[in-house]
Amino acid sequence: MNRDENTPGISPMEEMSPPCQVACPLHTDVRGYVAAIARGDFEAAYAIAREPNPLIYVCSHVCAHPCEEECRRGQVDEPVAIAALKRFAAERHDLSLGHGPPKPNVEPKEQKVAIIGAGPAGLTAAYDLARMGYPVTVFEALPEPGGMLRVGLPKYRLPREIIDVDIKGILEADVEIKTNVCIGRDMTLSDLKEQGYEAIFIAIGAQQSRALRIEGMDLDGVLLGVDFLRDVNQGRAVKLGRRVLVIGGGNVAVDVARSAVRQGRPGSEKEVHMICLESREEMPAHEWEIIEAQREGIILHPSLGPKRILGRDGKVVGLETIVCSSVFDSEGRFNPTFVPDSESVIEGDTIILAIGQASDLSFLRPEDGIELTRRRTIKVDPQTLATTAPGIFAGGEVTTGPGSVVGSMALGRRAAISIDTYLRGEDLTGLQFGEWRELDDLPPKTVERIKPLAREPMPMLPLEERAFNYEEVELGYTLAMAMRAAHRCLTCGGGAYVDTGKCAACLTCVRVCPYDVPIIKEGAAFIDPTECQACGVCASECPAKAITMKLYSEDQLYQEIDALFADAPAENPEPLIVGFCCLYCAYAADEWAESVRAQLPPNVRTLDVVCTSRIDIQHLLRAFELGADGVFVAGCVGDECRHTEKAANRIQGKVQFVKEVLDQVGIGSERLSLYDIPSAEWGTVPRIAQEMTERIRALGPNPL
Amino acid sequence: MIIAEQKPLDEIKSMIADYQKVLILGCGTCVTICFAGGEKEVGILASALRMATRLDGQDKEFIEATVQRQCEYEFNEEVADLVKEADVVLSLACGIGVQTMNEQFPEKLTLPGLNTKFLGQPTEQGVWDERCLACGDCVLYKTGGICPIARCSKSLLNGPCGGSQNGKCEINPEVDCAWQLIYDRLKALGKLDLMMEVKSPKDWSASHAGGPGKIVREDLRL
Repeated sequence: MNRDENTPGISPMEEMSPPCQVACPLHTDVRGYVAAIARGDFEAAYAIAREPNPLIYVCSHVCAHPCEEECRRGQVDEPVAIAALKRFAAERHDLSLGHGPPKPNVEPKEQKVAIIGAGPAGLTAAYDLARMGYPVTVFEALPEPGGMLRVGLPKYRLPREIIDVDIKGILEADVEIKTNVCIGRDMTLSDLKEQGYEAIFIAIGAQQSRALRIEGMDLDGVLLGVDFLRDVNQGRAVKLGRRVLVIGGGNVAVDVARSAVRQGRPGSEKEVHMICLESREEMPAHEWEIIEAQREGIILHPSLGPKRILGRDGKVVGLETIVCSSVFDSEGRFNPTFVPDSESVIEGDTIILAIGQASDLSFLRPEDGIELTRRRTIKVDPQTLATTAPGIFAGGEVTTGPGSVVGSMALGRRAAISIDTYLRGEDLTGLQFGEWRELDDLPPKTVERIKPLAREPMPMLPLEERAFNYEEVELGYTLAMAMRAAHRCLTCGGGAYVDTGKCAACLTCVRVCPYDVPIIKEGAAFIDPTECQACGVCASECPAKAITMKLYSEDQLYQEIDALFADAPAENPEPLIVGFCCLYCAYAADEWAESVRAQLPPNVRTLDVVCTSRIDIQHLLRAFELGADGVFVAGCVGDECRHTEKAANRIQGKVQFVKEVLDQVGIGSERLSLYDIPSAEWGTVPRIAQEMTERIRALGPNPL
Repeated sequence: MIIAEQKPLDEIKSMIADYQKVLILGCGTCVTICFAGGEKEVGILASALRMATRLDGQDKEFIEATVQRQCEYEFNEEVADLVKEADVVLSLACGIGVQTMNEQFPEKLTLPGLNTKFLGQPTEQGVWDERCLACGDCVLYKTGGICPIARCSKSLLNGPCGGSQNGKCEINPEVDCAWQLIYDRLKALGKLDLMMEVKSPKDWSASHAGGPGKIVREDLRL
């Protein structure tokens, strides 16, 4: 059996997938939802992003976004701001339409499944299994579901109401969550089996801070990072001194340090330091988190190892450190070496350790038959996540050690598929997950021709407003920002595909492509998806109609044209004007998105196209056929075109051709106009539309 | 390849005036490449005709289809049902395709939507130039690879004539004098002596002048 982790039951695409989608542990169709945002279809974007992801709201705020690391736009300038765009799609989504797709019509199943831990892995597995028809119960030790999302992640990164939105969606999928039930304290695994749970998924995470074996650990003022975050997140009083020293260089350490900055009251002077073994460049925390920590005044001390905690009268007074010259040995193993006689002291009255987390496995009993690894994680089959005990599976940080939300979710999904296979009585050893084929890097000749476009910065809460509160720091994109950000996507692999059976090898695509991608191979055009930039020039000009665009196909364009006329009144006092507007050009100007379009009178209907080069002669004729009294095409001035001047200029010939047809038909060429509008002048579109309305009104209605 | 162009819309309209249901049938080879009768042109013409005939107060129906090569029965067979359904076929193939259709579907008239112009070369995107007249007796080996039959307005075998002015033909200053081109090419090749050879009158019976052309390869026949 070969199954895709993204959509159970469907094999991964045979074709090469964009690197963002391959990099996403959930294989989210990033290209799809970014393209939908680029077209202004925000609900479609949400639906695409939501499809594999029951924790979409959480992810839209805190996903580690490995997709961006792989984004091919990064070869040109900077990666597309994928995470920020997901958040935009989620924020725009109308939740009254439901959190996710409706529950599939499946036969309810008898076999009960127990899931231990309501964190990302457990919730994802529970959601998937519930949708497969299983009765699922999640047992959560804490008073509220969410796991580390709720007690680990600071609120300035993830507001708690965001978690609640996703939890509600999961509950709506008929998942039962029992909180305040701690397996090991209140029940054992054997109890669960006795209660009739035929499969168990252990997803308890890694919620214990690792401690250091150094002198002074018992002093008053030494805290553990996870405990500190849990107390802060649960609103318990946490007493910090004036100088807080956080030991660790990972993401949790940054969360601890940035939370420490926020503790206290205005006026209380506080200094927060981070001390880590790694050099600044090697620090495992995400770069953007480190930068933000520094902006918030946190002082970094990289390449220092903690030697002992200094105390006076039983209280912490400082940390003796020693210079660390390397963290890993030549074989890449953690094996720090220190510079002799390089000790120094950093003064401080509170020390918080954030040097790693482990799972609390004390609930396991020998009779459970669950073996552990040497790293004190649960031993599982990497494919099936089956533990050494039949019917018991484990996944997430309890098997991987500390990881990302989305990584744990993917393991929850995998566990759900395995558990389903197991409960069906099928052989687990035959379960194989498909391999994804990834598009190669952009070739240098293509990189050269792609126009650089600056990444849209995330609006941030001003520094002065962050002190002593947990207001979210990242504020999210406005519509115009999101449009601009989405337009940077290269829609990798979403471009032109040739039907070789129809191709006449006429060379048109070879000649018109602004990126010189098509070649003739084995007697037909071949458009390498690695290189194609999805401008669509070739598809709109192919005389054999042998080229289709994978995303935003010709058919979709026709449907959108038809939709413009769907509610056109039969008797319209004003001429019906249809405008084909280039999305790239229009949204290059801030005002189009929110204000310019709103100023257009109701008789003017616009269709956003991703570059005027996509417009085909037949599209323009179609608008007239359906009854447009006038049609205009608004594109950029040549050198502003995202797809180079060569693409921008193609529309001129098409408009001229259609004008000739209109004259022959008897409709009249004066009903079609082409405007080249510099991006700074998109505010003039309503005036153009008004002029056009007046001109067409004088001509009278479309004689059709 | 065969180069054609669409007939004026008015002429097409008058051809189909008596028919209600029209199958517009494209061809996927030469006329596709010269943007005269491929699937895309079929769509454009259908759209134009729908509008034009509606303006004339007619209620016509247009069916669109394109076959891989309209000069072959086997390919046309794929649209046999559509042909049957239509009152008339408007072919966007070259004259060969139009005749094939008439021969293959004798009960249905197939009309020409194109004017078949010449055998030519797509010299740049959107430009086609005549290169061959199918004379049946190729002389290119004597003329530096430039055809005086197709490219000289007079099809002179011993040119140029007095109408050659500054390298252009007297019929149109846009048209190159073929014999100037031949001279220049032979000079570049160091074969100007070929200009001195007087070519005897051409045997035009090898071309259409000898009646309709026909080639039979007995070895290939079934």
